[in-house]
Amino acid sequence: MSLLIEARDLTKKYGSHTALDRVSFSVAAGRIVGLIGPNGAGKTSALRAILGLMSYTGRLEVMGREPFANRAMLMKDVSFIADVAVLPAWLRVDQAVAFVAGVHPRFRRERALELLGKTDVTGRRRIRELSKGMKTQVHLALTMAIDARLLVLDEPTLGLDILARRGFYDALLNDYMDDTRTIVVTTHQVEEVENLLTDVIFIDRGRIAFDAPVAAIAADYVVLAVADDQLAAARAEKPFFERRSLGRSFLYFERPDRQRLSAFGELLTPSVSDLFVAKLSR
Amino acid sequence: MNTYVWLVRREFWENRAIWLVPLCIGGALTLAASFGRVEFGVNSPGETRALGGMVLFAFGITFFVVMNIYSSWYLLDCLHSERKDRSVLYWKSLPVSDTATVLAKLFTGLIAIPLVYFIAADLTTVLIALILWAKARGGAGRMLWQPDLWLQLQALWVYLIVTTALWYAPFAGWFMAVSAWAKRAVLLWAVLPLCAACLLERWFLGTHAIAGTLEVRLLGYMGAAFSDSPGVAAFRTLDDMAEPAPGSVWTVLHPWGFIANPQVWLGLAVGAALIAGAIQLRWRRTDA
Repeated sequence: MSLLIEARDLTKKYGSHTALDRVSFSVAAGRIVGLIGPNGAGKTSALRAILGLMSYTGRLEVMGREPFANRAMLMKDVSFIADVAVLPAWLRVDQAVAFVAGVHPRFRRERALELLGKTDVTGRRRIRELSKGMKTQVHLALTMAIDARLLVLDEPTLGLDILARRGFYDALLNDYMDDTRTIVVTTHQVEEVENLLTDVIFIDRGRIAFDAPVAAIAADYVVLAVADDQLAAARAEKPFFERRSLGRSFLYFERPDRQRLSAFGELLTPSVSDLFVAKLSR
Repeated sequence: MNTYVWLVRREFWENRAIWLVPLCIGGALTLAASFGRVEFGVNSPGETRALGGMVLFAFGITFFVVMNIYSSWYLLDCLHSERKDRSVLYWKSLPVSDTATVLAKLFTGLIAIPLVYFIAADLTTVLIALILWAKARGGAGRMLWQPDLWLQLQALWVYLIVTTALWYAPFAGWFMAVSAWAKRAVLLWAVLPLCAACLLERWFLGTHAIAGTLEVRLLGYMGAAFSDSPGVAAFRTLDDMAEPAPGSVWTVLHPWGFIANPQVWLGLAVGAALIAGAIQLRWRRTDA
């Protein structure tokens, strides 16, 4: 499996503030990776470095290239949606299609028109006349019509209602994703993406807090739901996180002895969002 | 090359004022010619010719002055507005280099916009000549429609576009660099630092080198590009009204002297350096 992105000691400082602190991670081809963290954790900085939008220190290669010096060349193979509001207001939809077809060697015009045909947007409309959801549909249609190997999405559904969000991710999975493509998506709303990810990277205060395939979460992590009478005994097994809900305690364990734990209560598999809360709570 | 064509087209889509403003000027002049009373009371062919030259020249100047104001504003705004509305993040998601983007905008401001005004001025002139010809049964129309004068005006326009682009390259570069750099108030950032530099030099050194350089650049164009300014030539034509051979544009163009002028090349070097700076800033700056 070839690596599409490889970051080693990636660091970004804004004055005295460290946005990324010697971060190392990699993304393999064909994966859907969620870069997840609270607001201000460094997600957007990491993405901007990957997309060649800002300078950094440390080593970073995207498809074998240093991104900051090679952005224009890289964008033949990488497409990104920064967030919903970046399509210029004055642009007409048909102009957008014509322009991208003119400058992008991997853009398939027919595909874009087909995707736009599924929406309510007509070509003569200007972006400023469209609702947020429609803008996102247009942006997604323009982006999905590019035969890019890597698609990067930065908070792509920010400010959208639940229907538009669902529509966005459904279109992404049904009309775009196949095994030749790789997606990196950042969000602070884990629940929204957890069912489509193959890998998660938790990022917190400029550092990687967790990095694993989603499949490994079920294998390595267990939540023990335990009643109060068993709580003291269960705590002796050294959970790394604990929370209470509805009269029971939920204890989080990494690579535990399941047999032993099952004596104290019910064993559950944590979801990505459960694990996110557990790993990032302090 | 194809990318550049698309980039310039995009500028025309974004800045519809590029063609709307000259369209309005042309429309207003045409309306004035259609409904205004035209009574020149000229008789001799020499008078007709001179007056025709004056009117053509006045039209040209109107378009030219507005064009310069607009294209300056365009250059000052073009790299700032894309950061302000964050659309830079969209443009940067496409495989178009910062160099290509900046150069396309520079070309739009220095060449494409002037060409649009040139064409608009031409069409207006022809249209008004036709209208006057229809109204006055030939007399006034013939005054405006004089092929050799018209040809002179074409030459003057092309010459003006090329030489002003070269002469004012440092200002174009400065405007684009400010546009790529300033977070807000591009107009103030374009003007105030230059004023401040002049004042500081004067207070602390007692000299006027910066102010002098700026003055030469701002006001020296006519002297560099023309052996005699067209304005003077036009007035002389007026004096010579009775004479059958008034002055012509061909005698005032000064291309070889212009090219040989070290000031032109010095300005180009400064302009190129500032454009390179604007490209660097466009590359490094993504946030407004």
